[in-house]
Amino acid sequence: MSARTRNRLLMAVVWLFLLLLFLPVLVVIPVSVTDKSYLSLPADGISFEHYGSLTDPAKGWVPSFRNSALAAIATAIMATGIAAAFAVGAWIRSGWWPSAVRLLMLSPLIVPPIIYAVGMVRVLSKVSMLDTFWGVLVVHVVLSLPMAFLAIAASLANLDNRMVTAARSLGARPITIFGRVILPNIAPGLAAGAFLAFITSWDEITVTLFITARHFVTLPRRIYTSITDSIDPALAAIAAVLLIATMAVLIAQTLLKGRGARAGSAK
Amino acid sequence: MSFLVVDSLTMTYGPLRALNDVSLTVKEGEFISLLGPSGSGKTTLLMSLAGFNKPTSGRILLDGQDIIAREPEDRDFGFVFQGYALFPHLSVSGNIAFPLKVRKWDAVRIRARVEEMLALVGLKSLADRKPRQLSGGQQQRVALARALSFGPRVLLLDEPLSALDRMLREQMQTELRRLHRETGVTFLYVTHDQQEALTMSDRIAVFEKGKIVEEGSPTRLFKSPTTRFVAEFLGENNFVKGSRANGVWQGFGTSFSLPEQRDSGEDAGSATLWLRPGDIGFGTGRDGDISFTAKVEDFVFGGTHNRLALRLRSGETFVASISADLVAEDALGKDLTFHARPEAVGVLR
Ligand SMILES: Nc1ncnc2c1ncn2[C@@H]1O[C@H](COP(=O)(O)OP(=O)(O)OP(=O)(O)O)[C@@H](O)[C@H]1O
Ligand SMILES: [Mg+2]
Repeated sequence: MSARTRNRLLMAVVWLFLLLLFLPVLVVIPVSVTDKSYLSLPADGISFEHYGSLTDPAKGWVPSFRNSALAAIATAIMATGIAAAFAVGAWIRSGWWPSAVRLLMLSPLIVPPIIYAVGMVRVLSKVSMLDTFWGVLVVHVVLSLPMAFLAIAASLANLDNRMVTAARSLGARPITIFGRVILPNIAPGLAAGAFLAFITSWDEITVTLFITARHFVTLPRRIYTSITDSIDPALAAIAAVLLIATMAVLIAQTLLKGRGARAGSAK
Repeated sequence: MSFLVVDSLTMTYGPLRALNDVSLTVKEGEFISLLGPSGSGKTTLLMSLAGFNKPTSGRILLDGQDIIAREPEDRDFGFVFQGYALFPHLSVSGNIAFPLKVRKWDAVRIRARVEEMLALVGLKSLADRKPRQLSGGQQQRVALARALSFGPRVLLLDEPLSALDRMLREQMQTELRRLHRETGVTFLYVTHDQQEALTMSDRIAVFEKGKIVEEGSPTRLFKSPTTRFVAEFLGENNFVKGSRANGVWQGFGTSFSLPEQRDSGEDAGSATLWLRPGDIGFGTGRDGDISFTAKVEDFVFGGTHNRLALRLRSGETFVASISADLVAEDALGKDLTFHARPEAVGVLR
């Protein structure tokens, strides 16, 4: 076999894998424009009625979307805040206790969500927070902490913590030090941490299934119920909306980054 | 009233006394070096002065006021760290302006002072660079300008040159002397390099195991140390046994008398004599010189001066640094005569 054919073969395999990764996702787009009233590919023409039905108050897509957005934004803010406070504190003073707390913080990565869910159901029912925004928020914050913490800790890892000592000797008080010295250096880490926390909350399903019922329904939960007890193509429509929104964000980010890199190298 | 007084400062870490009853009086505008081996407590003293650690007991007085309870940010002491600890997200100007912004100076005054500091450390052309775009020596200058910009009462420097190579270090030593002269700020300079301390300071305090063993001008400490530790730590030195009976000293396998300023005037059964390698000459010397015979056991070529390892008849060994014109490699293994002026010999009891 010549090097050329081998190369072609390799490319074919790579493309096959990429298609395998992506095609099943794309299938929701044709399904979402089906003219039938059940999940299927369009047969006698296309129809956008399922997109219209997403806003139908009876179906509850809009409130669940709003709930999820609310929970994800609040989770991103809180998890980033807590993780940043801990990461910065541990960075400034070293010792045995930061390592101990770090282990505790990362434990959601280790403990299977299903086991955590069992525990959380008991705790939340004791304090009557089952099926509420606050109950979901607490759980999502805990589950997002590891990601947020790892992202922020990574941005602190190559900073010299004597900067803090230097800033104090130059007359800066703690708030100034945080705002003018630490924050500008860890801003990318905070953004990454907030993004990861948002995503974690946005598509959390395992624990959420256990701690919510009909009162506070998140989007993943709504999708889950719709897939188990109906075959409404609205499901494909919401999936397509999410898919297109995600792609738009990713493409925009890649373009922006490309421009940033070009501006940087031109300098 | 004294400017800065450290009064019996003690700082313990568990059973370890990092500072053990340290007292030091500093005059305004002085350049004082804190010199000592690793772990002797120099950094601990500096951090206590800056307010970053709380001494177990003792006082620190600035203009007669105890400042022990004052937070570091209220002390107005500049601090230069070994690794510089510059702010990576700020430009050179931004770093220098930081303490001024913190003090809420107005923009015009800040700009003027930053310009002035940039000129002082010779970084005008690099004002907009970020710290990572600077060489080690340039970063050092930024750290100095930043710590001096707000007009600190005292500048504390913790081994600021130890990360630089030798050429640059010597250049920066001159630079630091100049900055000290031009700003008039009191410098407290930590180093474990005795050469650096000797060439730069008005006064040296020598640390050993958390104590100041001796302090004084570089000349005084170098020419007449009163402790073996200082005699050994500052400059190279040789030690041999000696004794004094009826005013006459025995040592180096010969007998001699020492000038008054070297001699305490009392007989002693046993004492330690010291003589620096550079003060030993080749041959019998002049009248009144101490001359002695020693065997050359090792010879190291060293450019203008060769280093000879000598052994006396008594078995004691020491090192001499002899002009390269006078001895060559063929001296190895021979018994030769050397001499030293009596004033160069020191006595430790
Ligand atoms: N945070 C600390 N906890 C416990 N011991 C400490 C601490 N900081 C310093 N020490 C100890 O105190 C002693 C003095 O340390 P210090 O840092 O002052 O030495 P130094 O003279 O600056 O040495 P070097 O030249 O190596 O910097 C050392 O024995 C050190 O191990
Ligand atoms: Mg030190």
